[in-house]
Amino acid sequence: MGESKSDILQGTLDLMVLKTLESMGSLHGYGIARRIEQVSGDTLSLNQGTIYPALLRLEQRRWIKSEWGVSESNRRAKFYSLSKTGRKQMEMETENWERIATTMARFLTPSVEG
Amino acid sequence: MRVRKSDLVQSLFSRCAALFRRERLNEDLDEELRAHIDFAIEDNLRSGLSEREARRAAMLAFGGVPQTKERYRVQRELPWIETLLQDVRYALRQLRKSPGFAVTAMLTLALGIGSVTAVFSVVSAVLLHPYDFRDPGQIVIWRESIREIQSVSPLLPDNYRHYLNLKNHAQSIQDAAIMQSPVFSISTGTDHPEMTEGLAVSPNFFSVLGVNPLLGRTFLPEEAQRGKDKEVMLTWGAWQRLYHGNSSVLGMTLRVGDEAQTIIGVLPKSFRFPVISMMPGGATYGSTERYEIFKPLVPLQAELTANDAEFNYLVVARLKPGVSVQQAESELDGIEKATAAADHLAIHLGVTVQPFAQEITGNVRKPLWLLLAAVLGVLLMACVNLANLQIARGVAHDPETALRSALGAGRARLLQAVLIENLLLGLAGGLGGVAFAVIAEKLLLMTAASLPRLNEVHVSTPMLLFALALSILTSLGFGLLPALRSLRVLPRNALQSRSTRLSGNKQAIRSRKILVAVEVACSVTLLIVTALITRSFSHLLTQDRQFNAQHIALARTDLSEPRYVTKETSLVNLGTDPGSLVRGAMIDRTLDRLRTLPGVQSVALTNVIPLTGEMSTISLVRPDHPVPAGQEPVANRRFISPGYFAAMEIPLLSGRDFIQQDRGNRRALILSDKTAKAVFPGENPLGRTIQHWGHIYTVIGITADARINDLKRNAPVFYLPYWDFPPENPVFLVRSAQDMETLGPAMRQAIWSIDPDISIPTVISLATQLNDSVATERFQTAILSSFGGAALLLALLGIYGVLAYSVSLRTQEFGIRIALGSSRATLARLVLKDASSSVLGGIALGLLGAAAATRWVDSILYETSRLDPWAIGLSLTLLLLAALLASLIPLRKATSVNPISVLRAD
Repeated sequence: MGESKSDILQGTLDLMVLKTLESMGSLHGYGIARRIEQVSGDTLSLNQGTIYPALLRLEQRRWIKSEWGVSESNRRAKFYSLSKTGRKQMEMETENWERIATTMARFLTPSVEG
Repeated sequence: MRVRKSDLVQSLFSRCAALFRRERLNEDLDEELRAHIDFAIEDNLRSGLSEREARRAAMLAFGGVPQTKERYRVQRELPWIETLLQDVRYALRQLRKSPGFAVTAMLTLALGIGSVTAVFSVVSAVLLHPYDFRDPGQIVIWRESIREIQSVSPLLPDNYRHYLNLKNHAQSIQDAAIMQSPVFSISTGTDHPEMTEGLAVSPNFFSVLGVNPLLGRTFLPEEAQRGKDKEVMLTWGAWQRLYHGNSSVLGMTLRVGDEAQTIIGVLPKSFRFPVISMMPGGATYGSTERYEIFKPLVPLQAELTANDAEFNYLVVARLKPGVSVQQAESELDGIEKATAAADHLAIHLGVTVQPFAQEITGNVRKPLWLLLAAVLGVLLMACVNLANLQIARGVAHDPETALRSALGAGRARLLQAVLIENLLLGLAGGLGGVAFAVIAEKLLLMTAASLPRLNEVHVSTPMLLFALALSILTSLGFGLLPALRSLRVLPRNALQSRSTRLSGNKQAIRSRKILVAVEVACSVTLLIVTALITRSFSHLLTQDRQFNAQHIALARTDLSEPRYVTKETSLVNLGTDPGSLVRGAMIDRTLDRLRTLPGVQSVALTNVIPLTGEMSTISLVRPDHPVPAGQEPVANRRFISPGYFAAMEIPLLSGRDFIQQDRGNRRALILSDKTAKAVFPGENPLGRTIQHWGHIYTVIGITADARINDLKRNAPVFYLPYWDFPPENPVFLVRSAQDMETLGPAMRQAIWSIDPDISIPTVISLATQLNDSVATERFQTAILSSFGGAALLLALLGIYGVLAYSVSLRTQEFGIRIALGSSRATLARLVLKDASSSVLGGIALGLLGAAAATRWVDSILYETSRLDPWAIGLSLTLLLLAALLASLIPLRKATSVNPISVLRAD
């Protein structure tokens, strides 16, 4: 796998994590992984483990925060939540993605005139 | 994702922090992942899977747990630091295994880096570091020229009226200050007066330089008027010396030249102003930073009006930003010429502008760069030697390197390992080097007091950074070649038997031979340059100087105070004015008193301390043979007493010395041989006449050309008796067998017994004065010789190393040769042949280098040809001797090989 390709995937995963945390609030790793799987349906087959280096990366950049807490099933787990800079970053990236997506969509949708 | 720089810095911080909490973070990660799996199992159980299947599915969805942990750790920490630390540990282990090498390498580097750092810090303080003025690059000195006398003196000091004109009209300069350096006799009122030097400056002097006083203020414009100039400023040094840094010094009174003056300011510690010779390129003698007091400059009435005479000053100016020296010069020169034309002057004036830094360091620039080049050459040789050692060690490690490479170590990683070992050596050497540099600098300072600004040399951050950069560079320098060589070793070859490895060794020996050739070349070049400089210096010391400096004591006194000087003298009564008569009487009585000192052989007087350069250079006019103005021969005028030539042991070639009976009866002068030949070419000068001060003087004697002004120059001199114009700073000479410790104080007491209020600034033996006058040359010779010696030693070690190694590799071959009947002589020839290629090649290369280097040093050689056969011959002989010495032990080893034991060994 080329480096540029993995970079894109990495970035994508990061954005998915940020978006998930925005809509779900504080969540543990397993929850985030499940949520991403559910939302993307069958189109993305994710090794759940890959979520952890991504979480660490986002935390190192201070885009998310983590703290130990207790789940509904009374299990000790690390909970992640979005930080202020993380929210800003996410909004910026979302806009960016949408622009790319619309542009790509225009290219890929055959025009009516043919 | 767009990542900002601040985010990356944040990451780096947390990664570094993670290095120190590794255990704790690992536990956290374990717990987090365990929780993840448990959550997954719970979910799976809820959807109806059996416990086993639930666990299996959870693990499957997660992917590999160890892989995740590994990737997590890479993200969490700085993995390259880890390999780096590994390599550092490996290198330390390697060095511990060969302590001999490690110590040699570190010592060599410490000496090399230390010497370069010390010399560099001198160079940087003297040449590269500007004076502590605001924007020192904008400061310039300007001088004037008169085309009619260009052949005699190409440049002149400045005329006050021209200065005002240029300052007021030039657009290229911001401002210009004018100055003069009188010698003051000062007294704080507690002891005998003492003498110091200072500058009389226009009030804007400090604003032109951009210097603010530490205490008090600088001069006001109105203080440049006669009668209002009763203020002085002190340098920081004078403030410490005279007032012990007393902070209430402002307003105190200092007697300067017998007049009370008020101290209005103290200059900051960093402020220094060098002694600048009035004549360009003129040597300045003694310490060049001796100015202690500053006074307002009050021009004389005559100087304000004179348009074609009275060139008595020096101008220092600040250029406007962005104006080049050339632009300023062409503007100033244009204004000067236009004004001279408008004033209908009979002479053709011009202006030359010189950057301040150039003016100050012009004389020492080349010698210092030469020292730096030489010491860099020595460092290069040290690097070459270490590279040689490293190659030898690399060959020994080839099997290990090959094994590591076969086991999958990447080239980059192998290279990194070798370079790190070198870097460690380099840094250790650098550390020792800094310590050495501090000591070396102290030594340099002691031997080179005559260099300008040397008091500013000290251990500094730039110096430490320089040493660090040098350590890294040298470790790369000696490490890269051996490292690259070891990479070329094929694992297959290295792991095979000993005999096939020999080919790799041969290649190593070839690179080592090239290195030795480079080393020999360096040392040949350095030796030749050193030999030439040494020859030049010994010429300077051993040439026939036509005077005897041994057992002579000098005492310079100051008779420039008002009671000894007539305010307005004219040529008409010169010598018979009241001041002259008082000085003459004082001198007569002092000479008589000095004659009564015990052990005195002869006593005499002159007006200038010998070996302080040419001054009072005067045109000699023959009334019977007028030549166009500006083309008369010139000579240094010296006032002397009868007996001066006897005391100095200057031979009188013909005619006679002055005698007391001449006094008041006849105007007589004595010429040095060179002067006589220049004024009266092809004629007998005795009895002929010369016009001076409006009088006709008769030549009564001719002396040998004594180098009393400058050992390097045979300057023309003419002598007048002191009674014609008793000097204001008479120098009394006493030839005595007594040593200076008793003679010096005795001379002071004798002079003070005539007048206790005279200052005696200098009491020194002529031998010391002579030594001081060649201090720069001595410094240069001493330092270069030590570098030359180091180079020779390094070359010797280099040659020895290569030979010893190649002999040890060829033991088997030699054994076979002996067994087959070779004589020991044949073997010896084989070994020497081995050495000769690199030595001879190196010598050829070195001669080429010397050809280039000596062209560059030619101008600082004194009466020594750069092709001096002695210097070149001696250098080559020394090198060949060193090479021979280096081959002796390997030679012995080779010829004493025991064939039986060798053949059995393998």
